Amino acid sequence: MPAWLSDNLVTVVDGVAFGVLLFTIAVGLSLVFGIMDVLNLAHGALYLVGAYLAVRFAGDGQAGLGAFLVAGLAAVAVGAAAGAGLAVMTRPLAGRGHLDQALLTLGVALVVGDLLSARFGNDVQSVPPPAFLAGSVGIAGHDYPSYRLAVIVAGLVLAVLVWLLVERTRVGALVRATVADAPMVRALGVDTGRLVVAVFAFGVVLACLGGVLGAPVLGAYPGLDERVLILGLVVVVLGGLGSVSGAFLGAMVVGQVEALGVSLLPQYASFLVFGTMAVVLLLRPTGILGRAGRSR
Amino acid sequence: MRGLARRLATVVAAGLVVALVAGCGSSLQADRQGAGDGPVKVGFLVPQSGVYAPLGRDMENGFRLYLDAKGGRLGGHTVELVVADEGGGPETGVPAAQKLLQQDRVTALVGIVSSAVVLGVRDLVNDSKVPLIVANAGANAITGEQRSDYVWRTSFTNGEVAGALGAYVAGQVKGGKVFLAAPDYAAGKEATAGFQAAFEAAGGQVAGTELTPFGTTTNFQPYLARIQRSGAKAVYCFYAGAEAVAFVKQYQQFGLASRIPLYCSGFVTEGGVLDAQGDAALGIKGSLHYSDQLDNPTNQRFVADYSARYGDSPTVYAVQAYDAAAVLDRALAKGTTGDAIVDGLKGIGEIDSPRGPWRFTDGHGPDQVYYLRATQEQGGRIVNAIVRPLTGS
Amino acid sequence: MSTARRPRAVAGGALVVLALVPLLVSANVADMLTRVLAFALLAVGLDLLAGVGGLPSLGQAAPFGVGAYTAALLGKHVTTVGPVQLVAAAAAGAGLAAAVGWLLVRSRGTYFLMLTLAVGEIVHELADRWEGVTGGTNGLAGVPPITLYPGGAPVRLAGVLYWYVLAAALAGAGALWVVSRSAFGRTLRGVRDNEERMRSLGYRTFLPRYAVFCIAGAAAGAAGSLWAAQARFVSPADLGFEVSALALLAVVIGGRGSLWGAALGAAVVVLVREALSPQLGGRGPLVLGLVFVAAVYLLPRGFAGIRLRRPRSIA
Repeated sequence: MPAWLSDNLVTVVDGVAFGVLLFTIAVGLSLVFGIMDVLNLAHGALYLVGAYLAVRFAGDGQAGLGAFLVAGLAAVAVGAAAGAGLAVMTRPLAGRGHLDQALLTLGVALVVGDLLSARFGNDVQSVPPPAFLAGSVGIAGHDYPSYRLAVIVAGLVLAVLVWLLVERTRVGALVRATVADAPMVRALGVDTGRLVVAVFAFGVVLACLGGVLGAPVLGAYPGLDERVLILGLVVVVLGGLGSVSGAFLGAMVVGQVEALGVSLLPQYASFLVFGTMAVVLLLRPTGILGRAGRSR
Repeated sequence: MRGLARRLATVVAAGLVVALVAGCGSSLQADRQGAGDGPVKVGFLVPQSGVYAPLGRDMENGFRLYLDAKGGRLGGHTVELVVADEGGGPETGVPAAQKLLQQDRVTALVGIVSSAVVLGVRDLVNDSKVPLIVANAGANAITGEQRSDYVWRTSFTNGEVAGALGAYVAGQVKGGKVFLAAPDYAAGKEATAGFQAAFEAAGGQVAGTELTPFGTTTNFQPYLARIQRSGAKAVYCFYAGAEAVAFVKQYQQFGLASRIPLYCSGFVTEGGVLDAQGDAALGIKGSLHYSDQLDNPTNQRFVADYSARYGDSPTVYAVQAYDAAAVLDRALAKGTTGDAIVDGLKGIGEIDSPRGPWRFTDGHGPDQVYYLRATQEQGGRIVNAIVRPLTGS
Repeated sequence: MSTARRPRAVAGGALVVLALVPLLVSANVADMLTRVLAFALLAVGLDLLAGVGGLPSLGQAAPFGVGAYTAALLGKHVTTVGPVQLVAAAAAGAGLAAAVGWLLVRSRGTYFLMLTLAVGEIVHELADRWEGVTGGTNGLAGVPPITLYPGGAPVRLAGVLYWYVLAAALAGAGALWVVSRSAFGRTLRGVRDNEERMRSLGYRTFLPRYAVFCIAGAAAGAAGSLWAAQARFVSPADLGFEVSALALLAVVIGGRGSLWGAALGAAVVVLVREALSPQLGGRGPLVLGLVFVAAVYLLPRGFAGIRLRRPRSIA
């Protein structure tokens, strides 16, 4: 294998791992925006909630897979409650435009972030991966942490499940229909209110699960929520708002930009993510797979 | 008419409330001076929120440990500690400092983690003649070209901590090359520059320097891959906070820890980040002016007192603030005006500190010994054991 | 008093209180209110852009910071005359807006928002890295105090600086208000509310959007110079995402489209962050977040929504 490829193969794989993690964060954001026209700026804080749940249940010493599963279940429970809560909180704002939702969800993000600080302290917390994934494997002559490979697998499984849910189930069809034309769906007798709450809850659950999954990679600390939120927004916008495949594509692109891009253009590393997003938006104003007219 | 009167009244009332709350109009007076009788107010500016909050907490613990051991008095005066939140950077730190100086009228200002905040506050402190004792921020300029009679530092200088390692590492790699890694901001650049200068002066050769994007990088894999490709015999790094945790953990996960020795400025393995790094930190050697493992009598007493009170081992940040209290104690004995305190500080000879004895330089920074530390497992804990003092601090 | 003269009387009363402030408050409070005024100018400019023009931007910190750096660099190396720095900063802010705006205003809605965020972050990175000019992450310190006219004495009293900033902010806000009330302002509202219809009526929609983007950039740059005049220190944090976000939130709290509401929103944001937060032992973000949540529910149309009795046909 040529030296260039073997040098960067690990980086490419790592880009996939990071991209998959970004997808779990971004897909919820994209779905919520698509169905409710709500830009949920509390999404990053909810990722951090999931990360701290991992700290709480799997944070000390050598945790087994069981502890992570417990953390995952807690993430589902907390995420569902938080998502439903947020849906209820944003309902009175329907029709008031994105800025009011931004104000509300950003306020919620600040409150949640500070409460997490108060509860867990401001130190950086790291979560060791489950014992059987704690080692490294060899890829093209370099060591690569097994846990990140597991993240790739888990994330791809999740992506497939979400895609199946949205594209192949009746509920998914209702969701897509509501995204496209909500009044029509209501006219057909479907309670879009409950559907919307369900989608919101689902999106937030994915963010929290992303936090649990990503905790051994990214850790948990104050300020991580803002970083995750900004990356999530970039992914969603790059891929096209409201589109699950768009979120996946956007996540893969950003993941590679952060990995391979940084490896090939290190002097411009800080500019790559936003630069890429700007270039894509200027060439395709509604994102790669976004629908025209879905911008407001 | 009702509506108009109500609105006018609201506006005027709001204005008067602001005035009353704030105290009467002195914004047109050239202002100040004299602490008067009563307790001496000392302003304590550290981060209480944001990523540097753990450092702020350690610093406050260290300062209060000294203060309370002296019965709440420094230099014979009762001290009222006014704590303010420096926040994450100058956008919150500079206004907070201004409030301490202008509204609380503090006699002295202590603390500050961020170098940007110190540089933003330096002129203010200089103009209002209030002594500032920096208990962390390490920018070279503070005791260099931006030095002032009123700015003193009990912590460290970025370049010096890194430079202390230069000759030692040159001896260890014996002709091999070293790769430098640090975040792309002022402290990172000063650290790598300081190390490089001392390292090359001792005959070493640098394989490459990687300044990683500051504050946004949690994934070091591309940089670690480059380090491996460079054929470097060792790596010197400087990181803090979440980046230190990520770098050290990934250094191990991607297989470099077993092949390429890692040297660093001691902050990389100091305090809370060491707990988060766990086993990944073993074997890292670094330079720092303190470790809780130092076995001089002053430190043994200090560690015992600190652990008894706060339940945790002290960090370098706690010692820096502890020493700030100690020097303020000796300076306040000279008087409570800014100039008297500065005279007091100038007259301080040797300070007996848990880090070992040290004194102020002409630039008002610490002239101290830097130790070579190695992370080891001792008694079930991971600690920074002292190997030996590094010559030339 | 008749309905038409109510707002004028309130405005007059507010101006009187603002002008009297230096006689009533301490130096520290005057400094804080000076910062409030500078931030308010930024918010009012953003309100023109977002509220009147329908272009919500998360990148206004970029022209703001460029203006602040311009004023600081002029102060250190060329001239300390405040009004000169102000004009230069406004030009610099407008220049940046002009350079990126012609690409950006082709987007709409959330995509436009993200593009402005991207511009803001990129400019922030540049400020971090371009050490030779901006001083890098340590910031630009040692900015001398401004003088009010060539050869004048440096302004060192907080109260006098407050009056200068008040005058400049009022002038800037006044100019923005005139723009908002003009025919151009009405065109902007039309484009904001229904772009298709405006186009079908024969209006070109690109030019008004581009023009308001540049005007907001100029206002932000001017606000930056006022900020630098007070702080006498500029760092990349002044270009950060937080500044942009807080400015936008100030606009929302104040009520989009009514320029004075944005000024009040700016006051709330700055006061909570500076007066309240340092005393909360680190719980500042919590309080700020609660303020935002409360504002959304209690002030559905912002501060501007409180005073209206009758709904007005033109926002």
